Amino acid sequence: MNFPADLKYSKSHEWIKMLDDTTALVGITDFAQSELGDLVFINLPQVGDAVTKEEAFCDVESVKAVSDVMSPVTGEVAEVNEELLDAPQLLNESPYEAWIAKITGITEFEELLDAAGYQALTEQQ
Amino acid sequence: MIRRLQTLTWAGTDPYENLALEECLRRRVEEGTCILYLWQNRPTVVIGRNQNPWQECRSGALRSDGVLLARRPSGGGAVYHDLGNQNFSFLVNEADYSVKKQLSVVVEACRSLGIPAEISGRNDVLAEGRKFSGNAFLTHQGRCCHHGTLLVDADLEALGRYLSPSPAKLRAKGVASVRSRVVNLRQLREGLGVEQIRESMVEAFQTVYGLEAEALDARSLPWGEIGDLAERNRSWEWLWGRQLPCTLQWAERFGWGELTIQLEAEGGVVRRAAVYTDAMDWTLSSALEGALTGCRLSGSDLARAVADLDLAAEVKADVLSLLEGQEI
Repeated sequence: MNFPADLKYSKSHEWIKMLDDTTALVGITDFAQSELGDLVFINLPQVGDAVTKEEAFCDVESVKAVSDVMSPVTGEVAEVNEELLDAPQLLNESPYEAWIAKITGITEFEELLDAAGYQALTEQQ
Repeated sequence: MIRRLQTLTWAGTDPYENLALEECLRRRVEEGTCILYLWQNRPTVVIGRNQNPWQECRSGALRSDGVLLARRPSGGGAVYHDLGNQNFSFLVNEADYSVKKQLSVVVEACRSLGIPAEISGRNDVLAEGRKFSGNAFLTHQGRCCHHGTLLVDADLEALGRYLSPSPAKLRAKGVASVRSRVVNLRQLREGLGVEQIRESMVEAFQTVYGLEAEALDARSLPWGEIGDLAERNRSWEWLWGRQLPCTLQWAERFGWGELTIQLEAEGGVVRRAAVYTDAMDWTLSSALEGALTGCRLSGSDLARAVADLDLAAEVKADVLSLLEGQEI
C-alpha cells in the first residue's frame, strides 16, 4: 500500500494535491481502489460543477458496486480527467496519477490527514 | 448493529414506480434498521447505471413486443425481468451493511425450499453450478442498496431476444454486460412459484438476523416523492439521455449509389453527423448532415428529420427505410 508524502488525505479515502493555494487535483487512494476492486466506469463531474466538502461529487462503478467519491474541498470543477472514461482501470493501476478532477477557487477544506495519519487510519480498518 | 427488521411486499409491477419506491426506502432507512423490499416487474429490460441502452438492447424489438426499458441505480449488466422473476432489495445504512449476511438470506430461503444454493465468488448465488440470482450494489450518501433477481419461472430465452447488441456499428463508452449460465429455480424444484419464494425470503430474513420482522405500511410512504422519482425513472433523459458519448455508423448500397452515415451522439442527441455518398446529387451529404445534427438518437426522430427534406423520391424512401430499420 502506497501513501505518497506530498499528498493530503481525507477520511473517506480521497487524496488531494495542492497546485497553489486555491487549486488542487483530487483522486482516490491506493487503499480505496483496493477496497473497491476492479473499476469499470467513472461518472465524472462536469466542468463548472460546484463541489462541497464532504459531499459526493462523482461516482465510480467497480465489479462490486457503485460508490460515491466525496469532495475533500469546496470549490469548482475546472477540469476533469477524460482519459478515465476510456480507461477506468488507471484508477486501480496508478491511483495517484489518475487524478479525477482539478478543483479551483477552493474556499474550504475538510479536516485532512497527512500520509502518516492516513496510513494509521487505513491500518485500523 | 441491526435491531429492527422491516419488510415490504409490493404488488405493483411498474418498473419505474418500483425503482422509485426502492430509492425512497433507501433514502429513509434509519441506522439499525434493515428493510427487505420484495417486488416484481412486468416484462422489462433493466440496464445498469452506467450502461448505454443503444449498446445493450434491441429497442425496436422492445417496442414491438411492448417490453419496457428501465435503468437501475446500481452497477452491472443488463437483465430481463418478467413476472416469473422475483426481485428483492436490502436497504441499510453503511454501518449495517453486510453483503455476506444479506446473500445468506437468499441461500437460506432456497435451502428451506429444498434447493441447495451456495454463495460463489464475491456476489453470486448458484445452484448446481448455475446462476439463478443476479445481484447489484449501490452506496450513496451513507446508505446502501443491495438488490437482486430470483429466477423462478422466467422466460430465459427473452434475454437473448432483447439483449442482443444493436446491429449498427456502435462504439460507446459505458459498462458492457457479461453473459452467465442461468437456471430457473422451478427447474430445480417442481411446482415452485414466486409466492413461495417471497414467503421463504421473509422467513429466512428473520432467521438470519434472529429478529422478528414487521410489515412496513405502504400508506405511510411519501407518495409525492415516489411519484416524482417514478417520473424521472421513465423519462427519456434518464433512460437515453445520459452524457455518455457514442458513435454509430451504417453503410448501405442502393440503386442510386452508396451511402454511409456516421453519427456522434452525446446526451442521446446527435452532435455531429457525417454522410458520405457517391450519389449524383452532390447536395445530398450536406442536406442529410444538416437534418440529422441535433436530432434525438432514435430511428423515428431521425426519419422525421429526413422526411422534411426536398430529395428525389427514390432516395428519400431508401434513406427513410434505412433509418427506420435501425434498432435505436
